[in-house]
Amino acid sequence: MRTFLYCLQTAVKNLGREKWINILTVLTIAVGLMILGAFILITLNLDSTIKQWSRGFGLVVYLKDDISANEENLMNEFFTKDSDIIEIKYISKDIALKELQQTSGPMNSILEGFKENPLPASFELKLKVEALDPIRIKLKASRIRQLSGVDDVQYGEKWLSSLNTMTKGMKIITAVLGSIIFVAVAFATYSTIKILFYRRTEEIETLKLLGATRSFIRLPFLLEGIFVGTCGGIISISGLLAVYYFTTSKIIDFMPSLKGMIMFFPPEMYPVAPLAGAVMSLVGSFLAVGKIRY
Amino acid sequence: MIQLSNVSKYYDNEAVLKDISFFVDKGDLIYITGPSGAGKTTLLKLIYRAERPDEGSIHVAGWDVGELKQSTIPYLRRNIGVVFQDFKLLFNRNVFDNVALALRIHGLHPDEIKETVNEVLKDIGLKHKSHEFPQHLSGGEQQRVVIARAMVSKPTVLLADEPTGNLDPDTAQIIIKLFKEINARGTTVVIATHHSDLFNNTGRRVIHLKGGELIKESIG
Repeated sequence: MRTFLYCLQTAVKNLGREKWINILTVLTIAVGLMILGAFILITLNLDSTIKQWSRGFGLVVYLKDDISANEENLMNEFFTKDSDIIEIKYISKDIALKELQQTSGPMNSILEGFKENPLPASFELKLKVEALDPIRIKLKASRIRQLSGVDDVQYGEKWLSSLNTMTKGMKIITAVLGSIIFVAVAFATYSTIKILFYRRTEEIETLKLLGATRSFIRLPFLLEGIFVGTCGGIISISGLLAVYYFTTSKIIDFMPSLKGMIMFFPPEMYPVAPLAGAVMSLVGSFLAVGKIRY
Repeated sequence: MIQLSNVSKYYDNEAVLKDISFFVDKGDLIYITGPSGAGKTTLLKLIYRAERPDEGSIHVAGWDVGELKQSTIPYLRRNIGVVFQDFKLLFNRNVFDNVALALRIHGLHPDEIKETVNEVLKDIGLKHKSHEFPQHLSGGEQQRVVIARAMVSKPTVLLADEPTGNLDPDTAQIIIKLFKEINARGTTVVIATHHSDLFNNTGRRVIHLKGGELIKESIG
């Protein structure tokens, strides 16, 4: 504990001695984390918007005209058992016709040419957002098609596929960008600590000759790295918050309907930025100090 | 306390020490002498494991120095105080902090460090300069700070490499007197020097090196 306190004291002194290089590193880390944070935020907002759009997504199961009541009941039971389906709505032939008449307006005269109701009865199935995976839906649709009494199953296959590609794309970009920024932040700290380490080569040599252990030599550098990374993280989340409030207020001035729709990280997530900065910098510092040999 | 058995050291296939064997008893004060390039500094470096012997073995205070793991070397060095030829003082720390560093490495309590360092600085006559930085001290004062740092942790062995190298004769005598006092408290002291004035008529053991070989042992 005493050694830790002494190393902490040394780290604080060294931070003061080399304040300009450390300030520069803090700002570099802050900018890096801000870019990453902004990108995560854009991804989160897009994801949330996509989920909202997806809430209306469903399958329409068209039934054969000669379907029996028993087949209809069995089908209903089948849908009820499926945990992906959150809402089942039965549309009889008559209701389908009425709905069409209400929505077609002047085209109603075309329908009058039919002697019998040409529209099929159907089930409209609403699905959970989590179930909106193109392969999963395709399988589900093909299983439903095989049920007795089913004429056809329709759903926005292309729409779903595009949506899925977009979400996956955003996630991949965020992951790649995250990795790049992780390396960049670690490298920024690595370079700083390496410079500081070289500047203190003589001091380190003396410490080694006096019997200092590796951890005694290494710890001040690691603490410096953690401090610099944490400061960078705090500045990044504060800066991001300021940019968020400024930008959203400007956007809402132009599009008041977006009020309350553009979200920021929840407060409990704020410590993640300094924590991420600290971890990235710790990795950089650790690599910079390297293996100490006597 | 210190035992060297058939120790050889090579740099670029050239022997800087050849088949050196000698023994230093606990509480002894001995001198190692020889001209420049005789291998005095290398010999001391082997003892505090800044270098590793290529042949032979070295035992210091029960440690087999040549076989030490990297992680164990610091613990050996804590038992050995070294007065370096080039001082190795830290110029961004004052006299007190330079001396205290050895104790901080040992993990001592700050109060204990303060007390011990002040006591040692008083012993070497530099208490009044404890807040000065090394660059503001004379050569002799810097040398005394190095000695204080080497003795403050009460090591079992004290090694001094040309401790009077750049000092005037009067200051050199003060430094040697300090070593004798340290030795009188029970510390084994090994002084490497090429100044025969330091050991002549002292009645102490002198090991003579030349071209990396131990050519003779004598009494000064």
